[in-house]
This record gives sequence, C-alpha cells and structure tokens, in this order.
Amino acid sequence: MLGFRLDPLTQKKLQRFKSIRRGYYSFILFVLLVLLSVFAELLVNSRALVVHYNGEWFFPTYGAVIPGKTFGLDYDYETNYRDLKKRWADDPDNFVILPPIPYNPYENDLRDGEYPPFPPSIEDRHYLGTDTTGRDVAARLVYGFRTAIFFSLILLFASYLIGVSIGAAMGYFGGLFDLLFQRIIEIWSNIPFLYVIMIISSIMIPNFAMLILIILFFGWIGMTWYMRTATYKEKAREYVMAARALGASNSRIIFLHILPNTVSIIVTFIPFSVANGIIALTSLDYLGFGLPPPTPSWGELLAQGSANLESIWIVASVVITMSVILVMVTFVGEAIREAFDPKKYTTYE
Amino acid sequence: MTWYFLRRLLLIVPTFIGITILVFVITRFVPGGPIERMIAEAQQASLQSGGGQQLGEGGQTLDEDQLRQLEEYYGFDKPVLVSYWEWLLKVLRLDLGTSTRYSEPVWDTILERLPVSAFYGIMTMLITYFISIPLGYWKAIKHNSHFDHASSFIVFVGYAVPSYVIGIILLVVFAANLEWFPMGGFYSEDFEDLDSFWQQAEDILYHAVLPLLAYVAGSFAVMTFMMKNALMDNLAADYVRTAIAKGLPFRKAITRHALRNSLIPIATHFGNNISVIIGGSFLIEKIFNIDGLGLLGYESVVERDYPIVLGVLVISAILQLLGNILSDICVAIVDPRVQFK
Repeated sequence: MLGFRLDPLTQKKLQRFKSIRRGYYSFILFVLLVLLSVFAELLVNSRALVVHYNGEWFFPTYGAVIPGKTFGLDYDYETNYRDLKKRWADDPDNFVILPPIPYNPYENDLRDGEYPPFPPSIEDRHYLGTDTTGRDVAARLVYGFRTAIFFSLILLFASYLIGVSIGAAMGYFGGLFDLLFQRIIEIWSNIPFLYVIMIISSIMIPNFAMLILIILFFGWIGMTWYMRTATYKEKAREYVMAARALGASNSRIIFLHILPNTVSIIVTFIPFSVANGIIALTSLDYLGFGLPPPTPSWGELLAQGSANLESIWIVASVVITMSVILVMVTFVGEAIREAFDPKKYTTYE
Repeated sequence: MTWYFLRRLLLIVPTFIGITILVFVITRFVPGGPIERMIAEAQQASLQSGGGQQLGEGGQTLDEDQLRQLEEYYGFDKPVLVSYWEWLLKVLRLDLGTSTRYSEPVWDTILERLPVSAFYGIMTMLITYFISIPLGYWKAIKHNSHFDHASSFIVFVGYAVPSYVIGIILLVVFAANLEWFPMGGFYSEDFEDLDSFWQQAEDILYHAVLPLLAYVAGSFAVMTFMMKNALMDNLAADYVRTAIAKGLPFRKAITRHALRNSLIPIATHFGNNISVIIGGSFLIEKIFNIDGLGLLGYESVVERDYPIVLGVLVISAILQLLGNILSDICVAIVDPRVQFK
C-alpha cells in the first residue's frame, strides 16, 4: 500500500502507541481539531456558507466581499448575512445557510441600550457569550487555537532544525566547538528570556514572524542539549566505527547513520514542545507582549477574563479549553514516550 | 573532586559576565529608557501645572544641559563596554546602583522583597517534597492500581496546565465566587494592628493558601514521577530481588534498600530549588498581587527601571549558577559511585 515499508521496530512502536488508548485517542482528536481549525472559516464566520438568491447560488466564505446590493439590500458594504437570514425567514425562494457560529472573531456585536460582555445565549448563537467589547468568545477561542497551534508548530520545526544541527555537530565533532557552544548554552539558559522578550516587544509590537524569531533566538537550546548527548553516545558505538572504516564521510555518518538512530529521542520531545509553544505564546499574550491586538488569542482572553471575574464565562471558557488541549497534548507525549521506551517492571505482590 | 568543583566555581565568572553583558547591551540599545521616561514625565507635569502656556516651547521641557547631566548620571554618555565595566566594578563592591523609579538603592528594594519570595519558595519546596515523595512511593508500590491511575490523572493535569492558569482557576473559584480566601496580597491591610505573632502568622498563611496551591501544582508533578520511576527502577533491580529472596520482608526491602537509592534523582533536583526559592514566578505573583522579587523584576521591565532589572538578574543568575553546582555536590554526597572529573 504505502510507497515505503516501515522497519519492524518502528511498526512495533506504532503498535504500542496505538495500544495506549488515552494517548492514541488524544492524538486522533488533536489532529482532527488542528485540521478543523484550518477550515475554521467554514465553521465560525460572519459570512454565510451558502446564499440562494433569485435562482443564483453564492458561496461567500472565501473570496471577495459581496456587497449588500447584490442581494437587493440598500448598502454597498459587506452584506450582513445574519440580518439577511432574518429578512428572508418567510421567503420560500431565497435562503441563507450560516455557519454554526455566525460571528467572526473581530466583529463587535453592539446592541442598543445594552453593554457587553453578554452572557452565553443559544438564541443569539453566542454559545460562550461575548467578551468585554462584544466579540464572540467561541469565535475568538477557535481562531486563537489556530494561531497558537501554528505558531507552536512553526516554532517547533525551526528550533528543532537549529537544535538538531548544532547538537549533532557538538556531539560528533566535540573539542573546541563543543566547549564553545557549551558555554553559550549555559549563558543562554540562564538568561530570563521572558524579561528580554518583554523588553524587546515593548518597543516594537512584534508580528507573527517576528515573535517566532525572538522566541527562537532563546528557545533553540533545549533540543541542542539532548541532541548533543544522544550523538555523543551514538558516536561511540561500533556501527559508526565500521562506517568510518569503510571510508564514509562525516556528513554521511551524521545524516545516514547517527540521525536515524536518534530520531526516537527527537520524536518523544515533540508533544512537549508543542505544549510549551502554546504556553509561551499564551503567557506573552496574557501579559500584553505577544501578538498585537485585535489578533484573537487565548492569552488576551485570559487577561480579559481575569480582569472581569464577574463575567465568569470568559475566563471559564478559555481556562477549560486551554486545560483540555494541553492535557491532551501531554497524554500524547506520555504515550509516545511509553511506546518508544517501554519499561517492563517487575512488581511484587 | 575538589579540583572539579573549584573549576566549576571558576567557570561561573565567564558565564556570569556573558549573561549580564547580554542583558546590559539590550537595555542600552532599546529606546524608551529612563531618560525618555523622565522627559515624558516632565512634559506631563508641565502640562498639568502650567496649563496651555508652556506648550509653545514645543513640549521639550528639559534643555540640552539637563539632558547631558542626566546622561552622565546614568552613564549613557560613554560607550557600552566602558559603562558595563563601570557597572561591573560597582557590582563587585556590592553596589547595584539606584532605582530610577523609586530613587532608592536597588539593593534595599531587593532586600525588602526578598523575604516574601523566600517565604513562598521555601514553603513550596517543603510542600512539594512532602507530597511528591510519599505519593511517588505509593504510586510505585501500587503500580497499575486504581489509585495509581486516578492520581496519575491529577498529576498530568498539574503537569500540563501552567501554574499561573491554575492560579487563575483557584482565584475565580475560591476567592471570587466562594469567597473563602482573599483575592491577593501578602497580608491584610490591618496586619500591623494584629496583636500577637500567631495572629500575624495566621493572616499570612490565610493569604498564602491559594498562591501556594498554584506553586505546588506546578512543581509536584515532575517530582512525583521522578520519585515513582526511580523507585520502580530500583524495585526491579537485582539487589532488591536478592534481598527478598533471602527472606527480607518486602517493606524492609523497600525502606532499607530501594527507597534510599530512589532518592538520588530527587537529590539531584535539590540545587534547582535555590533559584526557585527567590525567583518565584512573576506570573503567579502578578495574579495574586504578591510583592515579591518576580513582580519587582516584571514591573521594572515594564517601567524601564534597568538598575533593578540588572540587580534582580545579578542575584538570580548567581543563585542559579551556584544551584547547578550544588546539585552536583548533592549527587556526589548521596551517591558515592559518582565520580566527577
């Protein structure tokens, strides 16, 4: 079926991973959530999914703004599909299908005589209520999740790329190079990097890429250290000596022999790095040093919620979502660790 | 061995210089420093006092001379490395400079906050050990039982959810809604009026319950698993099997042999506590409004009070570096097989 065959050892590891129910189901659910979040526009959006007007079909979700005049309304700006739906409620020919949550994360749902935050209401389709400026909490949670998870994944990829390369080089070549980077790592790991990020991001409001670069600048050391130790151990083994005796070059030994043998170490750290990335972004946003407003983010909701404790739905929604996601990621991590390094214990009765 | 630790102690010096020089340079090249802050403040003051009259001067209330004096005062008129060198010499004489925000010596400000952080640090450490060691012990003995699975879940949650978020949950539930505990602070406003030592202690403890829970929730998970895994490894080891085969009761085999060896990784972790003791988590301190070192550092960063930022950094860096060495010394004491070279 597959173009390549997994070696029996990897198959066994996969089998073991699947047998750990808690981790396996968390993994499936998590991947599903990430995939869903990619298509969040179809689930949480102020634009309608489908509009049927005068025999014509419209799909406004992606693409350009459709002005109100298209649907026989008297304005040129973007159609308000929620109003359109109400207007056509009794119309047998025309209809609007809205996404399950018909709000986008940026719009303020303002009403006459009432002031946000509004509590959760099924009737208004604010399932988790609104925040202090009238934006839908559920919408901001979903888009905030998407921001956080892709932030975390990009950060993970970049920091592992740096960490694995430098770590492998340190462990393989040793000597002065190793010593130099050991010092650098010791310095780096003692710098209170949250302070430095705060200093930097308080002078220039960082965008997505900038924030990743700043965190990357301080976050590459973790993987480097583990990789160094792993390479150091592998280098001393016979197969490396054999490869060298056969005349393999350094790069061939590192990439074709040592790296595949250290993959299991890299993989076991991935879920924990994903969680750490999410936490880092959320903490910075919470303090107001993360992505600029009005980017939907968990940290910003957390800050709002803890400042407005009487609007309990804000803080409750974000805290529960965050805990569930992070616990899920941790379950995956624990299952992977268990699958890659099973410990069969002797127990006494 | 002594030689090894001496070398480690000497290596603190370049690392310390590396850390401080990096942060020092960053604080120097980032705009919005103390002088800009003072100009802004002076502008605001003149706006408030002078009304519209002084606006005609273009808002620049400090003239060139005053600016130069200020720059000289903060050492901004010299090249970075020169002023770093001067700063380092002052630090060696235990002079951390003067806070630009409070206009009092940094050293005094830090000493004032230190007991608060130390209280939380030491309490957290004690409670964490007190929970983790017995819990890890029981989880290892009752491996795969209902108790093991149920407690694992709690440990996982404690591990996965960051401690400041747990702090927020506690605050929402127990302070805002149930009103069992105060919303924050280190002690109540009428603390000075409380008569006896016991009442004062009670007041502090009453305020400390929620923050301590948040701190402990963040730290007990790792320690519990460390304890459990170490004990399980040792239980599976041959020497325990031998002890039991020779007829030693199970309980004695654990307490006399396995438990002792399982404490080694816990001991390794001990040195890390030092920095935690005084560092604290500024997020937790911010949420519970505790005037500790963490909050001081955070506020100083926000307010650009660089002498304090650097002062807190000096102290935490030294403690952390010493803590790393202390960890290794602990290992060497607990486990005589370990040879440092």
